[in-house]
Amino acid sequence: MKKRLMHALALMAALALVLTACQPAATEAPKDFSKVTSAADAGGMDALVAAAKAEGTVTTIALPHDWCNYGGVIDGFKAKYGLQVNELDPNAGSNDELEAVKANKDNKGPQAPDVVDVGLAFGPQAKTEQLISLYKVSTWDTIPASAKDADGYWYGDYYGVLAFEVNANVVKNVPQDWSDLLKPEYQGQVALAGDPRSSNQAIQAVYAAALATGGSLDNAEPGLQFFKQLNEAGNFVPVIAKPGTIAQGETPITIRWTYNALSNRDALAGNPPIEVVVPASGRFAGVYVQAVSAYAPHPAAARLWMEFLYSDEGQTLWLKGYCHPIRYEDLLARKAVPQDLLDKLPDVTGAVFPSLAQLDAAKKAITENWDAVVGADVK
Amino acid sequence: MSQHSLLTGTQHETRGAPEARPVPLKRRASWAWVGVVPFFVFALLFLLLPTGFLFVGSFQDSLGRFTLDNYPKLFRTLVLEAYWRSIRISFVTALGGGVFGFLLAYAVIMGGLPRFVRSALMTFSGVASNFAGVPLAFAFIATIGQAGLLTLWIKDLFNVNIYDKSVGFTLYSFWGLSLVYMYFQFPLMVLIISPAIDGLRREWREASENLGATPWQYWRYVALPILLPSLLGTMILLFGNAFGAQATAFALTGGTYNLVTILIGAQIRGDVLRDPGLGYTLAVGMVIIMAICIGGYTWLQRWTEKWLR
Amino acid sequence: MKSNTFWAWLIVVLGILYFFVPLLATLEFSLRAGRPDHFFSLVAYEKALKDPAFLKSMTLSVEIAVFTIIVTLLIIVPTAYWVHLRLPRLRPVVEFVTLMPFVVPAVVLVFGLIRIYSRPPLAFTYYTWSTNLLLVCAYSVLSFPYMYRAVDTGLRAIDVRTLTEAAQSLGASWATILLRIIFPNLRVALLSGAFLTFAIVVGEFTIAVFLARPTFGPYMSLQIQNKAYEPAALSIISFALTWASMGIIQWVGHRAPGQVQVGGAR
Repeated sequence: MKKRLMHALALMAALALVLTACQPAATEAPKDFSKVTSAADAGGMDALVAAAKAEGTVTTIALPHDWCNYGGVIDGFKAKYGLQVNELDPNAGSNDELEAVKANKDNKGPQAPDVVDVGLAFGPQAKTEQLISLYKVSTWDTIPASAKDADGYWYGDYYGVLAFEVNANVVKNVPQDWSDLLKPEYQGQVALAGDPRSSNQAIQAVYAAALATGGSLDNAEPGLQFFKQLNEAGNFVPVIAKPGTIAQGETPITIRWTYNALSNRDALAGNPPIEVVVPASGRFAGVYVQAVSAYAPHPAAARLWMEFLYSDEGQTLWLKGYCHPIRYEDLLARKAVPQDLLDKLPDVTGAVFPSLAQLDAAKKAITENWDAVVGADVK
Repeated sequence: MSQHSLLTGTQHETRGAPEARPVPLKRRASWAWVGVVPFFVFALLFLLLPTGFLFVGSFQDSLGRFTLDNYPKLFRTLVLEAYWRSIRISFVTALGGGVFGFLLAYAVIMGGLPRFVRSALMTFSGVASNFAGVPLAFAFIATIGQAGLLTLWIKDLFNVNIYDKSVGFTLYSFWGLSLVYMYFQFPLMVLIISPAIDGLRREWREASENLGATPWQYWRYVALPILLPSLLGTMILLFGNAFGAQATAFALTGGTYNLVTILIGAQIRGDVLRDPGLGYTLAVGMVIIMAICIGGYTWLQRWTEKWLR
Repeated sequence: MKSNTFWAWLIVVLGILYFFVPLLATLEFSLRAGRPDHFFSLVAYEKALKDPAFLKSMTLSVEIAVFTIIVTLLIIVPTAYWVHLRLPRLRPVVEFVTLMPFVVPAVVLVFGLIRIYSRPPLAFTYYTWSTNLLLVCAYSVLSFPYMYRAVDTGLRAIDVRTLTEAAQSLGASWATILLRIIFPNLRVALLSGAFLTFAIVVGEFTIAVFLARPTFGPYMSLQIQNKAYEPAALSIISFALTWASMGIIQWVGHRAPGQVQVGGAR
């Protein structure tokens, strides 16, 4: 008797699992949104919105709220479409994001990301590994050709320039340029916001230093030499800078993206007072790219998310976070952004954008030679 | 009635006690295996199978094709240095953590201190044993970093800057990192060795004193031999604990200090298109080192256990 | 005896200094949040505690921790007992397996778990309760080294063989032996293991974040990345809360019935 009961229960449990696994397919019978390549292809924006609402949620990854005002972007998306946003690890690196897509190929649960925001070099890599889907947003044509994949698999989202975030309480004489950092008054004060062998931000900092010290977009070696000098002079502090260490005074001069530095300045609200300096030379622009996961559990919602990000509204929200959105020129031309917001943006005239090939070469050179050139000092 | 053997601590019943029911040898062996099956099944399901990807991955290159190229990369100078550093810091903090942790545990258990001190230390150790990563690194930066509380006090009181070249102290060094690691090594030792210290019966100390032994002789011939297997076992735990630690070292020394765990992180995670196969291979290397350590420790164990026979 | 106590106090004081000064520094920093208006203020603590996500994540972590402790105890104690008593030659193998979690990177473990358990019929990741279960199992694995070592040390300190034989001669079954003789005599060791497991679960980050479970680790990490004073306040708060939880665990442990004190210095 008991055995029969157990068998029946097991059968019911198995049936339940099978049914729930089958269900998503049933509701997607009309249109497979994982194959949709544009809003027109979906049958119009309204159809896309309806399908996204039916899915109910979009899963994002690696979107810290203070980074380019993603907090505002997420809230704006939720308010506009009434969808949920399931946020995975905000601190994930680009490798983590792709690994999450790969590992969750068969997973329709909340662990699988729908969309990714990765470093420029990862766009082509993800395309090669067939981890991302083709999707061209409505405003596709206004995205500069140099910042997107011609086929439509990945597309640049925003850029910023590397700047110095300075704790004005600790550092009285704020440095204005890369060469200033070598001065003896900044003994033990200069830090990076990541590991130069694996963090995009830190690697670009070395690349930017190269631009300012005799290197070029094709030659990142002077950047390594600069940091070697910095380390030997005792000005470099090996700690990975965080808002806590900046405020505490251990890393009073941190090299970070302008948008991070500025939003941190606002968050600290004068305690301690922060000055953000875009260096006079060596202005290096770093671009990040967006893509829809090929294995997204919520393909319609993922595409709607992209539409939102590349709409004027989405791009302006990024602008509020001190980022230069990728459609910046277009927005300016159509006067789509209020002037007071534009005034708050840092001055980044003269910023240079590396090509994909240059970026790859520089990354390789920096990550492989950092230890040999700079890192040999810590006993 | 019953006697305590000073060296082995086992009780010998001098009165005839009914013996345990004799069980046929074959049946005994099969029962024993059943006892560990749940453990191995659980480990298989949730540890060994997922870790299988580690081994598989170590034979793949960055595009997923089979390759044996990853293993020779383990012998590059950079990698060997990283392994050596990891082993060194694990060994030093296991030893240092083991010794001071043991002293601390012994002090609160046998030192004649009030009862609440022991409870407080045990519960505190529970918390401190996992206080690691960025919060721990930050705590030490805030204490003896260049802008740290202690650093500034010393500057004010003694007019000495410990980070000055003449004094040469720096938190961002092997010894600085070891100092930070101790924060979770001491408590671990305290917690694990306490039952062993509890097991040191007071009667043994009294008996040895009665027989005229000095405290040194008590330690040398009675206490230490009994404690040695547990001490060794706990130290290897401390070794593994430090060996696998990554977050603390990373937060403290970022990209300038190479430990294997940091190298692995740089390969598998991060924002650079690196070689995950190499990362997995590095991890396999760590597994092999742990296996060797356990081998050495087991041999040491057997040798010390002879004292207890 | 007098000099004995002196040395004991000296060591304890050194220990207290080492452990508390960094905490003091963190505390001092967290109190700076109100400047320049107030030199020291509790505003960081207010902000930290007001966040509803803090209590939610802490509660979930504590729940997961309790389940993990139970699962780990149930698996490790019989295993350690058996190895100690009957299978000493299996000891190196068991120890190797328990020490493996140290050298397997958490990120590899979690992605491995997702790959295996995210498709039917083993679709743990589909439901919240089953993902929690997966999390408990993963954490249990992480706590193996500590629990095993604690239990092993505890077993060495008591005379397992004689106790077992005496119990068997009185007709006790294995279950009775384990539950009513071994467990109570390992009280100190089990408490140590429970403390360590609890601390691991509350602080763990990588596995929780990739399994998309909102426990305390991910929450803390989010604060550290973006805020300056709140993480320091959170460190102190979570330290205090975890210490209190340890106190509760210890109190519960002391009230466990059937204590047969065989080992013991007092």
